[in-house]
Amino acid sequence: MTVCPHCAAELESPAGCPHCKVPLEVPEDASLFDLLGLEHRFAVDVKDLRKRVLKVSRDIHPDFFGTSAPGVRELAEKNSARVNKAFEILSDDAERADWIVRDLGGPDEQEERAMPREFLMEVLDWNEILEEARSRTEALDPRLEPLASELSERRGQAIASIGALLTPMPPRGSPNLVRVRQELNSIRYVDRALAEIEALRLARASVR
Amino acid sequence: MAYIELNVLNNSASQLALGIDLGTTNSLAAVWRDGRPTVLRPEGKSALIPSVIHFPRDGAPIVGREARDHAVVDPKHTVFSIKRFMGRGLKDVAQELASLPYSATETERGLIQLEIHGKKYTPEELSALILMKVHDVACKALGGLETTNVVITVPAYFDDTQRQATRDAARLAGLDVLRIINEPTAASLAYGLDQRDKGNVVVFDLGGGTFDVTVLSIEDSVFRVLSTAGDTHLGGDDFDQKLASLARADVAAKHGPGIVDDPGFQQAVRMAAEHTKIALTTDPDADFHVHVPELRLNWRRRVTRAEFDALTRDLVERAMDACRRALSDAKLDPKTIDEVVLVGGSSRIPAVRARVAEFFGKTPHTELNPEEVVALGAAVQAHILIGGKRDMLLMDVTPLSLGLETMGGAVSKIIQRNSTIPCEATEGFTTYADNQTGIDFHIVQGERELAVDCRSLGRFKLTGIPPMPAGMARVSVKFHINADGVLTVGAREQSTGATARVEIQPMHGLTDAEVETMLLKSYEHAQEDFDARRVADLRTEIGIMVHATEKNMNAARAGLDKESVLDLEDAMAAAKAAAKAADVKQLQKARDEFERATMPLAALLMNNVASKALRGKSLGEV
Repeated sequence: MTVCPHCAAELESPAGCPHCKVPLEVPEDASLFDLLGLEHRFAVDVKDLRKRVLKVSRDIHPDFFGTSAPGVRELAEKNSARVNKAFEILSDDAERADWIVRDLGGPDEQEERAMPREFLMEVLDWNEILEEARSRTEALDPRLEPLASELSERRGQAIASIGALLTPMPPRGSPNLVRVRQELNSIRYVDRALAEIEALRLARASVR
Repeated sequence: MAYIELNVLNNSASQLALGIDLGTTNSLAAVWRDGRPTVLRPEGKSALIPSVIHFPRDGAPIVGREARDHAVVDPKHTVFSIKRFMGRGLKDVAQELASLPYSATETERGLIQLEIHGKKYTPEELSALILMKVHDVACKALGGLETTNVVITVPAYFDDTQRQATRDAARLAGLDVLRIINEPTAASLAYGLDQRDKGNVVVFDLGGGTFDVTVLSIEDSVFRVLSTAGDTHLGGDDFDQKLASLARADVAAKHGPGIVDDPGFQQAVRMAAEHTKIALTTDPDADFHVHVPELRLNWRRRVTRAEFDALTRDLVERAMDACRRALSDAKLDPKTIDEVVLVGGSSRIPAVRARVAEFFGKTPHTELNPEEVVALGAAVQAHILIGGKRDMLLMDVTPLSLGLETMGGAVSKIIQRNSTIPCEATEGFTTYADNQTGIDFHIVQGERELAVDCRSLGRFKLTGIPPMPAGMARVSVKFHINADGVLTVGAREQSTGATARVEIQPMHGLTDAEVETMLLKSYEHAQEDFDARRVADLRTEIGIMVHATEKNMNAARAGLDKESVLDLEDAMAAAKAAAKAADVKQLQKARDEFERATMPLAALLMNNVASKALRGKSLGEV
């Protein structure tokens, strides 16, 4: 655990000191987990993560440094932006897995893009339903809600298998990272379809 | 003359900051005082200052209630709803401009200018006039305490250009903007909802010209905005327009179509419609009366609330669509919302209240005046920003996605909408031709897929890339949106470490040079305005002095010798003549000379008063 350079108090997050109520310099290469004082592992308690972010934000948010020296104000801006980014990524299972794969030198979505043939056939089936649902202007297509449940379930399974592949954290260059990337690619297809369903729900919910 | 003691340390102006709600229809200010936010109002009057400016043929522009009274009589020289034009180009607001009685042009960079009395004004300059008035009223209500520190609110859905325009308006008004904050977020601060342990709050803000809905989560005294959505062209004005179209159709049928294009008629209909709408808030039916003596038009009709609700149902549903979008972005259900806060004068419309209550399944908060709640919240934030309060925090989001135009004219999103600010994102780019030393970027804001459908924030050219084969250069571009919601961009070529120069040319905005010029211009006018007021004040003062001298001279004539009486009479005649001057220095001189000439009379009067007061008292008591 790092300590505050001013008061030597132990810090939950190196981004700021809750006693001195100031932002602190964090090395550029500190990981997202380091930034929030978390262990490097896939499993994250989102509620605990949120509490940490709110707590450190109350020490370092630029709003509290409006009348401080420019250097302090800039550090508050920079650290808050980094903390917000870390929360955005770490609080989402898929984004967190994506970050871990990159961090461990695994393939990005361009380098590993092959998808199993049967999966792509399924995608074609969803797209057909979505295509027809789009052309129905009056009510919501009755097949959409069952499809949404099926897709959500699939997503849950993909996240579970990612969790298994990343626990314990694999070494750099592990073949597990390639398999995680493949699961993440399938999640991208699922998420795109789910977003489309949500857009259709919104459009049809309007009583205008 | 008594000396009034001022404790400079305790009343230090730097400890004060105003929260200003710069509204489409009305504007007002509030301040943090005695442990809570308070609206600043002129004694015994409403705090709301109509956002209306009247330009008399001669003299300084008039802002506020008095200006609004000119709208019907002199519509061509009375400007309202300026907020709708902030940071916009002609084609964005073609619909609004069609119903305006003055002409509008565009500068080279797409900035709107309204022409009044042959002079051109940008929306920024016009908003600055309103801000000056609000600031003036606020400082008077503060008992003469001066502060130029302000927090100004904008609709959550304002894009970067509109925010920048608001900031420029404040600069032109001589104010220091601590922060531009979102209206609905401000409203949630005003309600003191941080007292609750944890919960989800929806702020429904239906103002004069815009609609915003914001979903917040409150936890550990931190207000975290989860999502925001809205409609920049939905507000009370649109409800008025629905009623107005009722009158227009009927009047055109009865009196011919020519009359409905008359500016005087248009203004009268607009105001009558507003009047009827307000009456329908409390009454089941109301009179809709359009009277334009100049056109010999006297039209009236009863309107029932049911009729009004039917006319405006579509507008209410547009607001509900935005609520659904905001909830969807926040991944929440209406059932999970713990509190709903109503903001904006138009949230008083019974059908709006009923629909909101039905949609969220709970009675919304209406305890605070919906027209004051935004300014109150801005005052809370202003107090936090000057270091007066650290027990709560507001974490806001950027309302629109930020992206770059790609080769095919599509948009590549760099920062997603509803990202918590401050936020940053880094993107990698490379060259597509051998020895290419520069890359052009076009920054856009919005949710549409094509760059042409989004709002253009500016273009920048990245230069200084070392010559390399195509695809070899590794350029990383960093975008940072700070707590003010203002974007900065930095770029770096990674293989050589060369930093690239980035220049952003703002679209639809004022350049710094333009702001400077306008500021200089306003200082010139400020001197003129100041002189004009001083002339008026001195004339009044001389008038009062002459009048008092006449009265006192008659009362004290017995104690004055003949020569003194003649001297005084000469001095009075001279002062009356001198008061006709229009020059500050001449008037000042006349006033001073008159004061000297009346000295003997003043001394005599003082003696009389003193001897009266001392009469009957022994020396010991004095």
